[in-house]
Amino acid sequence: MKDAQKRLISIGFLVVALLLPLLFRKNAYSMILLTTIVLYGVLTTAWNIIGGMAGQLDLAAGAYLGLGAFTSGTLLIRWNITPWVGMIAGGLVATLFAIAVGFPLFRFHIREVWYALSSAALVEVLRVVFLMWEEIGGPVERFLPFHTFSLYHLRFASYIPYYYIMLGLLVIALLVNRRIRRTRLGYYLLSLGDDEDAAEVLGVNARAYKLRALVIYAFIVGITGSIYACLYGFIHPMVFSSPISLEVAILGIVGGMGIPFGPLLASVILVSAREFLRASIGGQLESLYLAIYAVVLIVIALFKPRGLAVLIQDVYARIRAVLSSAEGRTNL
Amino acid sequence: MSTVIQNLLNGAMMGFIYALIALGLSIIFGVMNIVNFAHGDFVMLSMYFTFWVGSLWSIDAFATPVITFPLLFLFGILVYFLIIEGTLRQKYVTQIAVTVGLLTLLRALAQIVWKAQPRALPYSLIQGSLDIGPVTILLSRLVSAGVSLVAILLVYLFFTKTWQGRAIRAASDDLDAASLMGVNYRWVYAFSFGLGSALTAIAGGLLMSFQQVDPTMGLRFGLLSWCILALTGLGSIPGLLISGVIVGSAESLAMSLWDPRARSLIIYLIFVLVLWLRPRGLFGRK
Amino acid sequence: MKGPILQVRGVTKKFGSLIAVNDVSFDIEDGEVVGLIGPNGAGKTTLFDTLTGINTPEGGRVIFREQDITGMYPHRICKLGISRTFQVTRAFTSMTVEEAIRVGAYNRYGEREVDSKVDEIIEFFNMKNIRRTACSDLGLAPLKRVGLARAMATEPTLLLLDEAGAGLNATEMAELMYMLTTLRKERNITLCIVEHVMQMVMGLCERIIVLDYGVLIAEGTPGEISENAKVIEAYLGKRSVK
Repeated sequence: MKDAQKRLISIGFLVVALLLPLLFRKNAYSMILLTTIVLYGVLTTAWNIIGGMAGQLDLAAGAYLGLGAFTSGTLLIRWNITPWVGMIAGGLVATLFAIAVGFPLFRFHIREVWYALSSAALVEVLRVVFLMWEEIGGPVERFLPFHTFSLYHLRFASYIPYYYIMLGLLVIALLVNRRIRRTRLGYYLLSLGDDEDAAEVLGVNARAYKLRALVIYAFIVGITGSIYACLYGFIHPMVFSSPISLEVAILGIVGGMGIPFGPLLASVILVSAREFLRASIGGQLESLYLAIYAVVLIVIALFKPRGLAVLIQDVYARIRAVLSSAEGRTNL
Repeated sequence: MSTVIQNLLNGAMMGFIYALIALGLSIIFGVMNIVNFAHGDFVMLSMYFTFWVGSLWSIDAFATPVITFPLLFLFGILVYFLIIEGTLRQKYVTQIAVTVGLLTLLRALAQIVWKAQPRALPYSLIQGSLDIGPVTILLSRLVSAGVSLVAILLVYLFFTKTWQGRAIRAASDDLDAASLMGVNYRWVYAFSFGLGSALTAIAGGLLMSFQQVDPTMGLRFGLLSWCILALTGLGSIPGLLISGVIVGSAESLAMSLWDPRARSLIIYLIFVLVLWLRPRGLFGRK
Repeated sequence: MKGPILQVRGVTKKFGSLIAVNDVSFDIEDGEVVGLIGPNGAGKTTLFDTLTGINTPEGGRVIFREQDITGMYPHRICKLGISRTFQVTRAFTSMTVEEAIRVGAYNRYGEREVDSKVDEIIEFFNMKNIRRTACSDLGLAPLKRVGLARAMATEPTLLLLDEAGAGLNATEMAELMYMLTTLRKERNITLCIVEHVMQMVMGLCERIIVLDYGVLIAEGTPGEISENAKVIEAYLGKRSVK
């Protein structure tokens, strides 16, 4: 696909995304669904940097999300500091935490398993810590001040403004991804993800670059956490969610590791599918939708491990081949 | 002081059961280098099977492994052929993705069949306690620890003394050489996966004699198993027992002396410490 | 520069109780082509791993251009000027040929110059027609060439080649030997090659080092080595020595 074509398609999608709320503004359920999809889009696109490119299976998205939410939320509740500042603070806290975690872990060539496990455990630990930390967290929800429309507090009665803010974040995340892909950072990360030993021998400082990827990812997720808190209107330790963390990683893997738009694609398709399932059968059999979702994941992972994005690229290539051969025949 | 000893004892006894669970994972990870993220949920599943069998036929929890062991063994083999085998030639990521899918599936299924509230079996026949000085030892826990110990011992003997056991170990060391000597790797792998899974059935039965089960327990047992594995390193079955005791005691002490909610915290702290201080060998190269 | 470019002094590497490299010492002079041979399992690749920082030896030192590089991280050693290829070329499966080379090129070049460096390497190694091919789609010979190309892209002064000739047919082998000779002449590279293919060893190397069970058993010119009793014994067994 040529660059110009790609750009056209991207802009097309962006325009559609910008106009969607006009269609759905009356339907709160649809709006929150859309916002949730975009939220997952941001998280998985950011995840792509550490997971898809650098090959580190991070299962701690919830940790950074929660840190961002609690930092920003607490700043707002206690000192009335606007989330616009809070989100940067949230991003920074998440980043510092990421460095603290990544620094010792990336010291040696640690096998993927152990990174995945320790990041999964991280989320749980933070959840329990914040549950026990009565000062800032505790078992009861802490509500953010309510406003029907306040840009300062980032609180709105409708979901639409949140949708646009998330969309803005998504665009930023995609641009960051693209930029990385084209520069040394991207190449180095991809090489690390493919074969760390070979990469190191070619001059790639594994630990430094993995940390860099982790930091960028944590920062974006931290910022998202802050908006997440405003969206839901409260902060509670359950924001340190293992299910969300697992889901983000899975969407990243299934979407196509390393491909910038892959995870986004997976988010759109799979999150919509999940919500659709939940809406249609979820009510009766509590977790049936989750079971089906899990099976879909297993099937995709087994048969198309390079991801949905590659699948779609293949399909696209095949369509083009058919079209161009048809053309060829008529020309004869 | 007596609380400390009491906790250490309770923790140690739990530790034996934890070691048994970790042994199952050690077989799977050690022999085949397979990362089964869903191992903790296999324990959860075993516990539910125990509940089901126990309530259906009014059997005591301690007796259920007679039925659940072969059940989980077959389940393990099924999972191996259906899901795991396909991931062997791929990147690690695929295996992790697939087993995460598996754990989601197991949790969802458990929730559908048994609903979200915890389930428990009526009290076991093995009741009562032993009072030795300031400490009280519940018989059910003591017997559980004993059974775990015996099970671990049997597995240890299997891998060191029997031809089949040694063939499996040979296969894990050098697949090609083992194949040349007539060892069919597919069945070795399937058997190992089945065995590793079936061991959770024993643990499940033991646990259900004094605990209840809910769909979210998988996470905790998974974390415990991996933590014990990290502490022990691979290849040492006696080492698993020691690590199990350490982890069990730590958990017990943390819960009573610090905060009951701190149970997973302490496990993670141990895990992190191990990763910081012993990163070579088990964890990577150099 | 005076003195040898590489000095290996008493390097010992153990894996548990297995001693893979046992007190090995030798020098490599600037501009030489040295062969490292020995039966399978002699410890040659392990030694390469030690030299490039992939493992840390239990004993001994490695000195490169008068700097002690023992136990340094691989990327630092690469920056200092040692590069290598692997026995089984671990291609970057998610990359194309030019992307793989680019990874190497970034070692010494920034964003602005990296493109031309990549072009130059592709030109030299005659890979224009496969530059956009995915590495995972390559056959053995072109794959090995990519391994060599990306190592060269890092602009090393010492290049370690691990069985670059294995699995190549006669034409491919001849091409490889020609390329290595040209590299040496044009870029002043010192080469150390691990090889089983004797014609490559005899044809290229000025000096040969022989390892067996981790021990250095002989060192000398190709002529000397082919007559060396210990070497023959190592390869063919005690009875073969007359």
